[in-house]
Amino acid sequence: MSYESPIRDQLVTGGKTYRDVTRDITRPLENAPSKGWWIGFSLSTLVLALWIGATTYTVVVGLGAWGLNKTVGWAFDITNFVFWVGIGHAGTLISAVLLLFRQKWRMSINRSAEAMTIFAVICAASFILSHMGRPWVAYWPIPLPNAFGTLWVNFNSPLVWDVFAISTYFSVSLVFWYIGLIPDIATVRDRAVTKARKFWYGFFAMGWNGSAKTWHRYEVISLILAGISTPLVLSVHSIVSMDFATSLVPGWHTTIFPPYFVAGAIFSGFGMVLTLLVIAREVMNYKDYITEAHLDAMTKVVMVTGTMVGMAYITEFFVAAYSGVEYEQYAFLNRAFGPYWWAYWTMMSCNLLAPQVFWFKWARTTPWFIFIMSIIVNIGMWFERFVIIVTSLHRDFLPSAWAMYTPTITEVSILIGSFGLFFFLYFLFCKFLPTINMAEVKSIIPTHHEGDHGHDSHHNHSHETAEKGAIHGN
Amino acid sequence: MILGVYDNPDKTYAATKKLLNSGYSVEDVYSPFAIHGIDRLMGIKRSKLSVAAFLFAMTGLSLAVTFQVYVSYFDWPMIIGGKPNLHIPTYIPITFELSILFTAFGMVTCFFIVNRMFWGKNADIIDIRVTDDLFVVAVNVQQNKTDIQALNQLLIDNGALEVRERTKE
Repeated sequence: MSYESPIRDQLVTGGKTYRDVTRDITRPLENAPSKGWWIGFSLSTLVLALWIGATTYTVVVGLGAWGLNKTVGWAFDITNFVFWVGIGHAGTLISAVLLLFRQKWRMSINRSAEAMTIFAVICAASFILSHMGRPWVAYWPIPLPNAFGTLWVNFNSPLVWDVFAISTYFSVSLVFWYIGLIPDIATVRDRAVTKARKFWYGFFAMGWNGSAKTWHRYEVISLILAGISTPLVLSVHSIVSMDFATSLVPGWHTTIFPPYFVAGAIFSGFGMVLTLLVIAREVMNYKDYITEAHLDAMTKVVMVTGTMVGMAYITEFFVAAYSGVEYEQYAFLNRAFGPYWWAYWTMMSCNLLAPQVFWFKWARTTPWFIFIMSIIVNIGMWFERFVIIVTSLHRDFLPSAWAMYTPTITEVSILIGSFGLFFFLYFLFCKFLPTINMAEVKSIIPTHHEGDHGHDSHHNHSHETAEKGAIHGN
Repeated sequence: MILGVYDNPDKTYAATKKLLNSGYSVEDVYSPFAIHGIDRLMGIKRSKLSVAAFLFAMTGLSLAVTFQVYVSYFDWPMIIGGKPNLHIPTYIPITFELSILFTAFGMVTCFFIVNRMFWGKNADIIDIRVTDDLFVVAVNVQQNKTDIQALNQLLIDNGALEVRERTKE
């Protein structure tokens, strides 16, 4: 039953029927991939090869392959880690938080945003592994009774919390994504003409039959999964921020970090969602599903969260000045006017100033412009992490220990390569799974296309049925 | 079973309501997406999966607290930076994460069990089009007792595209 909100335009345009939805969204799965897909896929595979090469080199040579030194012990590795984890947050925000807020526009973008979450967390985890230098002992932060006797991990350490947070986040996101996929996988199964497709989609559809009893339970668990994913996503980036905030390093030792990191994560995540969707709606011809109204809504989120992180930057500066702690004050002056001033001002202009263009309707609804802006947002958020990590470390309490950090070609290759990993997975996803949640989209398209009922009666009826719902899981 | 096939959730809802009011026993309704309110109409009780979820959350919570206290206070207390060994606030993040993890996996597993869903299950699909664009109302009939003619007419009067018979498995 569709519910047409009086204040929103139709969420899916083009007068689509249920059948059209199925046909449009299963098209890429059932046909040979387009030229565009092959180009994109080959390109990302090449970049992935760069990632594999550079990561292997790091593992073989050791962390000496990177530009780290005694003073700057974290740099590109953790910058990239936080960057990718942050990207992931938009997916959960769209599918969980917007579900709780009953924002129906999420329905045509949540699938790809969740996929993005999962792939981004994979990229993030790869940096955690490689920055350990000896990835074969990566199980050490897991509390296992080990070879040193029964020495355990230190549960007071946020680094240990992070291990739990990231792994929980990854696995719960994966479950949430898969639950959402089951009805759609069943759709592909029932349309399958080839044996392989029938087998594999049949295998993963788990015998889905679409009965009212199943749907009822499905809605209950979707709502609960959304309910637990919402605090989860907030906790994950809060814990990531505590990796810094619980230390005594000036510039890191800040209580504002958890909310500020979460806002930044949503900001960068929406940036990446926009990058992907502006292309996807063009290439896969999904403009009726991902409409300008969707772009408009997402860019508003970008603007709000961008302004929030901007406010956090200014607050940090103020608090440093107000605290009267000279180390804290120096850390911030050094950020803005020290040797890494260019990174700081890139961050400021990309994150605080640039998103302000979204006050204008034109900027919020012009795809090519949004695409450019989304790249700017991503650059800005990468620099934010770089600024936080490198500028706080490189000039510490002892001027004799001060040092500069320059990345090596290996580190730059791993960063670029991680985009290859991300897009490689994303292209595979576009080919093998429905990129838009068909079942949910079908539930929001108007029921009567031929106008077999009067508009008014339809409207009233929709309201009536919307209220009748026992559980508004969707 | 008699199946009424519809192309629209509103009609399906109305037809189901009519059938139930006329005293027929509706076995189930199959649809490509959830029809809101039809669960209540059919008298499906609110799923107890939410209770299961809560219990799993509590399991995760108590396991996490027990384990952390055992490890850092009883089994091998270590003094790191002069911090206390039993420090409840620092256990909160991991306790929270594990509660969520247990809830998600436990609840979803229960969901699969109550629906009898598993990987590789051969689906018994009432009509192949219910995952695409059609809605099916399945009505139970008893041999020689139910007036099939009247039932068919009722389904068609409420907008059924087709009416079919199917043996119940």
